[in-house]
Amino acid sequence: MPEIKVTPLGAGQDVGRSCILVSIAGKNVMLDCGMHMGYNDDRRFPDFSYITQNGRLTDFLDCVIISHFHLDHCGALPYFSEMVGYDGPIYMTHPTKAICPILLEDYRKITVDKKGETNFFTSQMIKDCMKKVVAVHLHQTVQVDEELEIKAYYAGHVLGAAMFQIKVGCESVVYTGDYNMTPDRHLGAAWIDKCRPDLLITESTYATTIRDSKRCRERDFLKKVHETVERGGKVLIPVFALGRAQELCILLETFWERMNLKAPIYFSTGLTEKANHYYKLFITWTNQKIRKTFVQRNMFEFKHIKAFDRAFADNPGPMVVFATPGMLHAGQSLQIFRKWAGNEKNMVIMPGYCVQGTVGHKILSGQRKLEMEGRQILEVKMQVEYMSFSAHADAKGIMQLIRQAEPRNVLLVHGEAKKMEFLKQKIEQEFHVNCYMPANGETTTIFTNPSIPVDISLGLLKRETAIGLLPDAKKPKLMHGTLIMKDNSFRLVSPEQALKELGLAEHQLRFTCRVHIQDPRKEHETVLRVYNHLKGVLKDYSVQHLPDGSITVESILIQATAHSEDQGTKVLLVSWTYQVGILEDIHFNQF
Amino acid sequence: MSPRGRRAMSRACARLLPRVCAALADPRQPGSDDTCLEKMLDWFRELREAEPTVKLLRDNPCLTEFFTAVLALPEPEPNVLSFTLRLAGIVAAVEDSFMHLQQLELLARLFGEDGPLNSAAWEDASVRSGWVEGVHSMVQHQSALHFICSGGGIDVIFTLQGDPSLFVASAACRLLVHLLTLSVGSELTVPLNAKDCDWPACAHMIIRHIEESLQSNSASHIKQSLKLLTSLFGSCQAPWTKVLWLGMAKQVESFLTEDSVQAQHILADLLLNMARSPVFHDTEGSFWALVTSALEHLTPVQSSPLAVGILRLHRCPQVVRIKALTVLLQPMDCILRAAFQPLEYAGLLDESVSDPSAVESLLSSKSSCASLLCQTLAHLEELLSVVFLPVNLPYASLLRSVVTILQFCNGLLIPASPLGSKISQILVGCFRVQKSALDALAALSDRKCSDTVVGSLFDVLLAYLESPNTTPTVLKKSFKAMSKWLMSLPGMSFFKNQQQTEKTLQDVFLVLQKRLCSPCWEVRDSSLEFLTNLIRNLRDHDEFRQSLLSSEVPKLTENLLEDPESYVRASAVTAMGHLAFITYFFVPESPVAGNQYNKEKTVAKLQEILSTDPEGFPRRAVMNVFTMWLKESCTGQLEETEQFVSTVVQTTAHDLDWEVKLGCLELVQIFCNHMFCRFGLPECPYAPISSAVTSSICQNEPLQIFCRANLFSFLFRSLCDCDKPVGQKACDILLALKSHFCQSSTTDLQGPGDLSAGHGIHWLQGTLRQGSLVQNFPTDDGNGVDFQDPESMMLALRTIDLVELHNDLNKCSDYVEKSPQSLLEDILATVGTAEENEADCY
Repeated sequence: MPEIKVTPLGAGQDVGRSCILVSIAGKNVMLDCGMHMGYNDDRRFPDFSYITQNGRLTDFLDCVIISHFHLDHCGALPYFSEMVGYDGPIYMTHPTKAICPILLEDYRKITVDKKGETNFFTSQMIKDCMKKVVAVHLHQTVQVDEELEIKAYYAGHVLGAAMFQIKVGCESVVYTGDYNMTPDRHLGAAWIDKCRPDLLITESTYATTIRDSKRCRERDFLKKVHETVERGGKVLIPVFALGRAQELCILLETFWERMNLKAPIYFSTGLTEKANHYYKLFITWTNQKIRKTFVQRNMFEFKHIKAFDRAFADNPGPMVVFATPGMLHAGQSLQIFRKWAGNEKNMVIMPGYCVQGTVGHKILSGQRKLEMEGRQILEVKMQVEYMSFSAHADAKGIMQLIRQAEPRNVLLVHGEAKKMEFLKQKIEQEFHVNCYMPANGETTTIFTNPSIPVDISLGLLKRETAIGLLPDAKKPKLMHGTLIMKDNSFRLVSPEQALKELGLAEHQLRFTCRVHIQDPRKEHETVLRVYNHLKGVLKDYSVQHLPDGSITVESILIQATAHSEDQGTKVLLVSWTYQVGILEDIHFNQF
Repeated sequence: MSPRGRRAMSRACARLLPRVCAALADPRQPGSDDTCLEKMLDWFRELREAEPTVKLLRDNPCLTEFFTAVLALPEPEPNVLSFTLRLAGIVAAVEDSFMHLQQLELLARLFGEDGPLNSAAWEDASVRSGWVEGVHSMVQHQSALHFICSGGGIDVIFTLQGDPSLFVASAACRLLVHLLTLSVGSELTVPLNAKDCDWPACAHMIIRHIEESLQSNSASHIKQSLKLLTSLFGSCQAPWTKVLWLGMAKQVESFLTEDSVQAQHILADLLLNMARSPVFHDTEGSFWALVTSALEHLTPVQSSPLAVGILRLHRCPQVVRIKALTVLLQPMDCILRAAFQPLEYAGLLDESVSDPSAVESLLSSKSSCASLLCQTLAHLEELLSVVFLPVNLPYASLLRSVVTILQFCNGLLIPASPLGSKISQILVGCFRVQKSALDALAALSDRKCSDTVVGSLFDVLLAYLESPNTTPTVLKKSFKAMSKWLMSLPGMSFFKNQQQTEKTLQDVFLVLQKRLCSPCWEVRDSSLEFLTNLIRNLRDHDEFRQSLLSSEVPKLTENLLEDPESYVRASAVTAMGHLAFITYFFVPESPVAGNQYNKEKTVAKLQEILSTDPEGFPRRAVMNVFTMWLKESCTGQLEETEQFVSTVVQTTAHDLDWEVKLGCLELVQIFCNHMFCRFGLPECPYAPISSAVTSSICQNEPLQIFCRANLFSFLFRSLCDCDKPVGQKACDILLALKSHFCQSSTTDLQGPGDLSAGHGIHWLQGTLRQGSLVQNFPTDDGNGVDFQDPESMMLALRTIDLVELHNDLNKCSDYVEKSPQSLLEDILATVGTAEENEADCY
């Protein structure tokens, strides 16, 4: 029975680095190739040795698909393609292809800054990797090879995020990547058609959460920023170059405009400007509101937000600064933090995840005395706030997507085991489909029932309609013919046509059966008795007694002889023919 | 520090550890981040190296309390339980600690039948993984080995070989190899021989298990045992492995022809690992006979990895080598024969040694043709990259076959023979094969080939470069192959006459012109990289220079300095930097250079990019070009160079990209070395040594120049840069300057003096130490430091303790705090925090 196999190397019962292997109809696809930022050795990358066991990577894998530009989904890609040695096709959407290298470069810069970092990709490797990427449009069916095709659907979450349908013949898998079922300030909601895949692989970050309204969190954020600025404090918002930064910028820009605020807002690096450039370039990927107002005013051309210069950090008075990197572990954001940390009027707002060991992680866990550079103690008096704006589908959203796509099976990834367990039960109850949640390294096998298309010859159809009623879609009809498997296709034709096409002669087979009956009478008397009996029971058939002593029932021939050893036993030889071409052997060999 | 350089547990950590253990074992606390647990294990591995662990356990009773507490939990968190098992394994790796845990009756509860393996927690793969890892860490001595083998643990490991988790299954396989090696290695006293196999108890159990599995009807059991043997022979080359093998050889051999097992891939791996082990080389020929048999029986796809491995071996019978070569070359031979009937040239193989029918049928099937060729070509590329290959490959025929494949792939060749026609139909437009063939072609450029095929090679490559159907990735590989072939031929004498050489080069530049205008940035970028590569290697050849300069390529390259894509701008900058060597640096008599190539214009353009380009790549590329020019002394006379460096430094001083600044610091470093060289300071190995250079500041020409060029301002400001590598580099340069200018040692400091009113040297030093922002530096228009005053700078160099600053900068080059104390504090700090914080992801 055909099967689909799924093995997560990452994101199996965790929210680490996504990397999922799918085998479908003999094709092998890698979904996402993420990095874990919590490690500074090889543990940050998925363990690809499990793939290299199967021979050369490029021979084994048919393609790699990247769902969006976040590093936990694409961070290992240059390592995989330039250092491990994968040289096959890589697919992602156009915005992802444009933005991915910015984030990879951003991360490389702060990584190589550190001492003892080895086995990490270079700038040239990022470029070489991106040059291998094939960019795809939404809803464009891309033929990876003759059998394998992929198609991207809008996923919300971040600019360019996509869900991918992977299809081989009539078998298909949909991988959601990260998605968001509710539109936010700059992106729309995820959407997929009723594609009824054999398997839907969905993220489940917020598997058990019905998230509070994002508006509430936004109001809260604006209130905190406003209050700090009003009392003359400075607000530091450490961000990664792309994603959250743009959302918060739109939020602040609109608020500043509405409230007519004067305090300056700054970006700390040129990176974010480039990001804004891409948001403008890929305006069609943003939500309807942004697209509609684009003609009057591009939402990403900010009036209040200016580029930051290092000198500004010492300026008196309130200000808001977006600075990279987002975990306060190096560069500008850390330098500004050091300057402002001692003043209780100031505030730092952390809008994202911070790995252990970073200043961001320490202050979020409540530590207020930080040992900087091994000696100096930095006392953190400024307010520390954590505000999550990550755009994932919540439990309701996940159920909605399943309803929309109508998959035959569901597989959960990118979530915590306990929460997945809860959602799994809910999905199985509500949709009556199997739901799986493999751990990393575990293979889930799903059996599929593929429908196989068969062409029917016109002659056969005409013959069938001539002898029966006209075809009716609601009433299936039994049809007889000969199935020919040739050149990877199936055709149903009449037996005569099959013989003709394959150049075969018709053969007749005669089957004979011996029936022993106890009858001491002479042979012709036995025959007569049988004849009379058959005549009586087979009234609708032509039963004849031939001059040579044999009986025929239609084409069946019956003869009687005495048993050679026991004259009291008569042997009836019943023989009939069956018309058949010797097709099987030959056809199956050709297949 | 311990003698081994490892750090023992500090008092601060010892104080924190009990609370951390208590928090981890407390089910009410939210689960700790897995990365924290991993880092704790790393720390304990280091501790184990630093001090005997029984001391560790006695000094820190919280550890055993932690084990007990976790084991007592009715439903422990899988990640905490897994951590506990792994930690216990690390601790128990030392025998007396193992004994200590046994006395406390903890071992059976951790790794024995009373432990997690008989609980519901075992369902979780991370717990099984933790158990296997824990056992692996622990079994480093006889007591642990005995504990596992006699307590039923070995059967658990046998079962885990077939675990649904790949990670657990492969860890179990590695563990069995470890146990077997340890058991035989430490328990065997008398050398074994094939007839008298008295294996130690544990080894005996494992070997019996392998034998039983191999004799079973279960394909999965057979595969597990074959994998185990593969792993064993790959990691252990002790003589006893041969004895082990002799007992199993017959059975394993039978799987070669056993289709139901489907273990051919593993068998190929197994035989290759054995072939690499000298132990099997003298098995009276039986092993090599088996290898030969494998090469014969396995399909070409299965045997090819084995063949390529064999061909790399230096010790291998010639007959096996020929067999392996046959396997590898057969597809290529088949291609040649299919393409040219009758074969005009020598084929790759003597037909008598091989039966090509299997390969022919694979090549004529759509589903297998591309895979077989890609694999073969990749293996050939691998072999060609080996420096001392113990076998001679027929390079000319190979080259011809690779060229033929490339001709098939773009429809240049459609042979009449049925097989050739079929293959060409399958291959036309096949990118996978195109890429593999181009890689192999590039690799072949290092080998000597006859010139008959070289002409058609360039035709094919040009066809690929020209074809609109060539994808960007294929084009990049075509460029690579083209440049390697152009460079590989000494004196570019690959054509019969100069005209032909010029014609080819003209064709190359013609197609390059077209590609430089491609709408696809990947193509423009690859074209520029190709150009740079050519100039770098062929700039001394007249034909090359003339063909290049008479084409539109230089002009188009200049245009690409304005490309919308930053990667392309950066590549254009690099290409322009190299073009300069041809257009004006080293070719005074170049007839075509003329006035159209203006050095000043190029420098001005690059400086504009350096100061205005919004992205880092082009700016970094400019810095690399400037550094390259300066290294090759292309920046003109001293004054010109001084002015040039000064301008670059001023432009870069405020750059937001630290790598640009680092590039500039490298430029400064080279400039300084040049100056010292010029003025005779000993840094330059060729310079005469002068002892009286620093006698007078006023006569110290380099110092005057550095001050005039405003280098000190840049260097001192860089010391305070928020990006550490910049500070480190600046400090290195300043230290070098100090050692040049201040003949006295660094400890021989002069007393602090006032640099100017209100700002003494203490202030400057303090400012630097604190790493304050650059803006705290006074400017020279007020009462601040005059960075252009030689006396002040000498004073600053003498007074600032650069050595200490250098140590500080190097000590904490990492902002992510890695110390165990910080780790423990972080774990404790998260105790009781709202779960909301860790729910978010990137």
